[in-house]
Amino acid sequence: MSDAHEHIDKLMQELRRGTITIGALSQLDAPQYGYSLVTILKEKGLQVEPGTLYPLLRRLEKQGFLESKWDTNETRPRKYYLLSDTGKEALGLLLKEWESIVTSMNDLIKGETGEENGDD
Amino acid sequence: MKKMEMIDRYVYAVTKRLPETQRKDVSDELYGLIEDMLDERVQGKNITDNDVEEVLLELGSPRQLAQKYRGTKKYVIGPELYDMYILVLKIALISVVAGTTAVFVIQVILNPMNTLDYFIDYIVSFFTAIIPNVIGWTTLSFAFAEYFSEGKLSGELSKVTLDKEWHPSNLAPIPDPKRRINPSEPIIAIVVSVLLIVFFAASHEYFGIWIYQNGEMAHVISFLNENAYSSILILIILFIGLIIVKESLKLFYGRWTKAMLIYTAMLNVISIGLIIVLVSGENLWNPSFMNELVQYNVVTRGTDAFRTAQIIWEQVTFWTLVILVMGLVSEIIKGLIKVRKQSKN
Repeated sequence: MSDAHEHIDKLMQELRRGTITIGALSQLDAPQYGYSLVTILKEKGLQVEPGTLYPLLRRLEKQGFLESKWDTNETRPRKYYLLSDTGKEALGLLLKEWESIVTSMNDLIKGETGEENGDD
Repeated sequence: MKKMEMIDRYVYAVTKRLPETQRKDVSDELYGLIEDMLDERVQGKNITDNDVEEVLLELGSPRQLAQKYRGTKKYVIGPELYDMYILVLKIALISVVAGTTAVFVIQVILNPMNTLDYFIDYIVSFFTAIIPNVIGWTTLSFAFAEYFSEGKLSGELSKVTLDKEWHPSNLAPIPDPKRRINPSEPIIAIVVSVLLIVFFAASHEYFGIWIYQNGEMAHVISFLNENAYSSILILIILFIGLIIVKESLKLFYGRWTKAMLIYTAMLNVISIGLIIVLVSGENLWNPSFMNELVQYNVVTRGTDAFRTAQIIWEQVTFWTLVILVMGLVSEIIKGLIKVRKQSKN
């Protein structure tokens, strides 16, 4: 049983991984620092661990999708991230892909179990 | 432990696992994050040790967090090399176990009284020398290969899968089954080669005609020239080593290709060169072979038996080399035919 749970957890993680990237990019038209982004995402129902988001932001910056700047004027220095031009382009493509995935998945799922679970 | 010290230690434990260039930045960011998380947790109240602990627990173990920052998994031997690694390890183990067993069997045949001693040596050597050596060296070689090709291998792979120039018309043809090399052939060849190396290096003195006197083995009339043996041995090991390289290539390519044909041809030409060196030195075969036969009363000088033995000895030593050379040449021709067959299709 616990084995099955472990596998299920893994599947969930895999499913979420890509969505976190899209979620983070989608909020970075305006500069955000890591923890403010965690809060924004949480408010909108996307639970992300800081321990996942911070490394992700660094990676996206390294890949050129984000730009960053340290703000040392506040009480504590914070690193603000913002979409780069490449990042904007990437987000556009990701969103398009996302839409098409959602449409096809809905078709698939409703096509198969629509009768029993027609409550949505 | 004080609150700040705990945080310091945590941040240090994460950043020490990261490349030098990222440490300062990640460290600053982590301090900010931990303070933000603490602020949210206590909402203006005093921060307790317990709060710090819980925040750090939420962030996860330093090792895990550092791994997320590093992104790429570190491998001693990555997925690209893994299959090859296991294959080579298997071949190496089979070869060495077969070689050691062969030595053990020879020892027992020659000296049955000491069977128990030999057996104990045989078993012990597995754990003290053979298994650690084989696994150790194989693993080390592959770890080096992995280390120096870091990123490159996976880069190659992703280049293949993401290739934008790809077009269905560029698809490589399915290899002709006639060109395919059954992996058991090179594996057997490698195992036999290793056995031969072990034999020539360790027990060559038994490579000859065994003379028994009073039910005991008294002498071996060696086929090879014992006086020049050390230089012969180097050439023999080189020769067999080249065969192992060649068979490994067959295993690697899995079929006859132009590249493999070229490598094979080169290796075989070098091998033929080695044979020529061996022969031209005229010290490969035991020069006193016939005298020893007489000395140990196998044949008597002047009889027909002596002349027959001499003719056999001269013919066999001559033809052994000729057959070796012909084998090497015919392998090149065989490869040539297989490669040409494919390009016609």
